[in-house]
Amino acid sequence: MTSETYDTDPRPSRMSNRFRALWTQENVITIIVSAIVAIAVVLPLITLVVSSFLVLDDLGFSTEWSFGNYVTIVTDPIIPKAFLNTLIICSGCTVLATFLGVSLAWTNARTNCPGRTWLEPFNLIPFFLSPFIGAIAWHNMGEPKTGLLNNFFRDIFGIEGHVINIDNIWGVIWVTGIFFAPLVYLFVVGSLRRMDPSLEDSARTTGAGLFRTTMTVTLPLVMPGILSGAIIVFVTSAGEFGVPFKLSAPYGWETLTTQIFTKAVGDDANHYLGATMAMALGAITVFLIWIQRRYIAPRSFETVTGKGFRPNVLDLGSWKWVAFGYNILFILVAVILPIISLLIVSLHPVWQGTIMLDKITGINYVKTLFFWREESIDAATNGIFNSLFLAFVGASISMVLALVVSYMIHRTKGFGSWLLDFLCVVPIGFPGIVLAMGVLVTYIQTPIYATLWILLLGYITRFFPYGQRNIASILLSISEELDQSSRMAGATWVTTMRRITIPLLKPGIFAGWILLFVIFVRELSISIMLYTDGTETLAVGVYYLTNYENEPLTAALSLAQTLLCLICMIAFRRLAGKEALSA
Amino acid sequence: MTSEDISSKYLQVRNLVKYFGDDKAVDNISFGIDEGAFLTLLGPSGCGKTTTLMSIAGLHTINSGAIEVGGLTYTEPSSSIFLPPEKRDIGMVFQSYAIWPHMTVTQNVAYPLEIRKLNKSEIDDRVAETLSLVDLTDMAEKNATQLSGGQQQRASLARAIVSNPRLLLFDEPLSNLDLKLREAMRVELKRIQNEVGITSIYVTHDQSEALVMSDEIIVMSKGNIEQSGEPVEIYSKPNNKYVSNFIGVANLLDAKVEKVTEDGSGEVTVQYGEMTARLPCRIGRGVHQGDEATLSVRPENVHVSRDKTSDSSIEGKVENVIFLGNHVDCRVNWGEYEWKVIAHPRDRLKEGEKIYLRFDSDHTLAVQQ
Ligand SMILES: Nc1ncnc2c1ncn2[C@@H]1O[C@H](COP(=O)(O)OP(=O)(O)OP(=O)(O)O)[C@@H](O)[C@H]1O
Ligand SMILES: [Mg+2]
Repeated sequence: MTSETYDTDPRPSRMSNRFRALWTQENVITIIVSAIVAIAVVLPLITLVVSSFLVLDDLGFSTEWSFGNYVTIVTDPIIPKAFLNTLIICSGCTVLATFLGVSLAWTNARTNCPGRTWLEPFNLIPFFLSPFIGAIAWHNMGEPKTGLLNNFFRDIFGIEGHVINIDNIWGVIWVTGIFFAPLVYLFVVGSLRRMDPSLEDSARTTGAGLFRTTMTVTLPLVMPGILSGAIIVFVTSAGEFGVPFKLSAPYGWETLTTQIFTKAVGDDANHYLGATMAMALGAITVFLIWIQRRYIAPRSFETVTGKGFRPNVLDLGSWKWVAFGYNILFILVAVILPIISLLIVSLHPVWQGTIMLDKITGINYVKTLFFWREESIDAATNGIFNSLFLAFVGASISMVLALVVSYMIHRTKGFGSWLLDFLCVVPIGFPGIVLAMGVLVTYIQTPIYATLWILLLGYITRFFPYGQRNIASILLSISEELDQSSRMAGATWVTTMRRITIPLLKPGIFAGWILLFVIFVRELSISIMLYTDGTETLAVGVYYLTNYENEPLTAALSLAQTLLCLICMIAFRRLAGKEALSA
Repeated sequence: MTSEDISSKYLQVRNLVKYFGDDKAVDNISFGIDEGAFLTLLGPSGCGKTTTLMSIAGLHTINSGAIEVGGLTYTEPSSSIFLPPEKRDIGMVFQSYAIWPHMTVTQNVAYPLEIRKLNKSEIDDRVAETLSLVDLTDMAEKNATQLSGGQQQRASLARAIVSNPRLLLFDEPLSNLDLKLREAMRVELKRIQNEVGITSIYVTHDQSEALVMSDEIIVMSKGNIEQSGEPVEIYSKPNNKYVSNFIGVANLLDAKVEKVTEDGSGEVTVQYGEMTARLPCRIGRGVHQGDEATLSVRPENVHVSRDKTSDSSIEGKVENVIFLGNHVDCRVNWGEYEWKVIAHPRDRLKEGEKIYLRFDSDHTLAVQQ
């Protein structure tokens, strides 16, 4: 461009033009929604950062600015150990879940393991259930004295003492490992299925054996998927509260999450120290998620083409029954045994480690579910109502936000859409308990504190990105021209949304809604930070029962929650189809 | 086209400029068309055709200039006018057809009328009438996903014309169809446009489509207009090398203009390797004596003979002969230049044979490079 034409460059007038054009229906709505999202996400995180530099004095009344909290988390007698325990748990859980997830995905996608089509939904069940409930169930099975499995082994083999002890840091690794295996499974199975078979065939024709081919071609191709899955598992287990709370904290193995919890509630509460620990945890998880999104996720698109290939299926010979047995074993320890043990325990008035058929009773269900009965326990029955309310309203609001935000990011592509895109990733990087700490310190002095609304706010802020991703993936797959032709036909933006865009997105909206509903029904780590008397949720009810009542009552409510999640899972699969969850 | 020419037109695009970030997609273009006419924007991929169309539709905001249709200003940033797309009363046919898959054909076509709040019986009448116009009456209750590509195309057209809009826009509507169907649809589309008489702008990169359908063609390159005019004019009198290369097939030779006479004819010399020739020709717009220019000769205007029939005949060697039934496509080597020539099968040209080429000076044009 010569300097002469530059003088007549029309761009200076662009701003005023833009500004006028800004006041359209669609821009007003998207600006409002974006502002809400920005405030909801950014405010708690800023407050968290600010609070972490406020140090509470010994009397607990006034604060001053300093790095004192950061010094404390290093010098405190418990916190550094909790930090170390968290690292051990995350590492162990990641190794176990990755091994399970990859091996199960491979047998399912690439071998002739019998029954692999009907095994898949079972492999995914733990994804929809609560690891906290899993910990409770495994506690019932693996507690040294009263554990069902230990009793079983004592009776059958006449062993003294116990065979397994789940109540320690290894137990936490075990339970989180089997519950997070489906995450890795989902990240890997899609690329295994869609892999171009000629990639492997060409390796075989060069003379590489099957083992060589798997190791040098197949595995490297799915490596980005495996790494992504492993990082997500690491981050999720770092933020996991329920399992260590049930299995290791009472026995002397504190983790960062259990420590943050004790700083948020109870006599020892020190929100500022809690915020500092949350910052430390959040810094780690955000860093890992950033690595995953920046370096690992983009690579998975280069290696695996998305065409509808029929992948090579490996004939395992008689080993296929070993693969089958392995898969069944996984389903047994991850799904069937926990549910059976909950059922057994829940039918006893008190649990002493042995099944007593003559004592079987339904009283625990009456006490936890029949809210109209005198003897019902408020914390449990409140939890049911509150959770259903939160899940219903929360999922609905989240999906509306998700819809508008996705539209803004992928269609309007205007002003600030990259910022929105970023804001939708941020909450995924923060464990629920960290975000809840931020929400707590932000809103503690406002009227919404100690109401259900603060829980709702926490839920939506943390989890609406999942709904957003669900909608965005469908939005990207339908042509923009479908919306545009409605505008050209004379319809306004709102009418176009109502009559064209939303009907086309309906399956995705429903699927996302159900997914969020499940997540909210079983949500623990945000709820536990933000609830008070009367605003207990289902998971908090379970927490209350396991802490202050007995195991059979806990088991009864746990089973009710599990059942609800299973129903949602079936609905989800119906609506969203098989591959909906795959990365 | 000068600005006075445009100001009397039905549709006026004046000094349109559109940036994407810092890239200029459309660089200050102006054009206009009469009511009821069929205008084609023609150019290679990325030249800004879609951007121009989207600017008229209101699906893009423009940076400067003005767009006006039938006295109504659609957009003019300098006076902060921007009419949203739904207020522009335009029918548009998209490349992907954009038939809504969750509705039947009838529902698709009725949509623009429902938006305009017509009453039920009127909608039914208009939809039936339009469907019969595009020959889709049998498909009325089918779901959009059950239609073939060509049928979706017709449904899309029906939806665009049903409300009798001020303007019809087409963005490469035929490019997803196979060749046979595409040729049939060209004629069909033109017939329907004639019948409804709605002013139309059609975007394509297919020059034969443009030649067949248009009342007027605008050839674009890199965000600029290279030439505009009637198809015959564009084909026979290209303004420059770019246009003559893009429209049809042409022999394009570097030439030096030796002589220009009053009546628009003249002489040029061309030199390729050892060979030189001085040829009489017509002189295109903006070409002056002494200029380096491009000589454009359509293959069908090259005459072959075994004898030297004129002073300006040149001698070449037949390289390549492809028999295509009613004509013969052949290449003739002349120095370092390879002529594209269309000969008659009767001529029985053989590869390696010496041959004379003669040019009709009326159909030999020197244009700007
Ligand atoms: N939304 C956009 N954002 C950024 N650049 C764009 C956008 N749309 C078009 N461009 C750029 O503007 C230029 C003109 O694009 P346009 O779509 O108008 O081309 P076209 O002539 O329609 O080409 P095609 O025949 O391939 O459809 C191209 O260089 C393109 O890269
Ligand atoms: Mg285009």
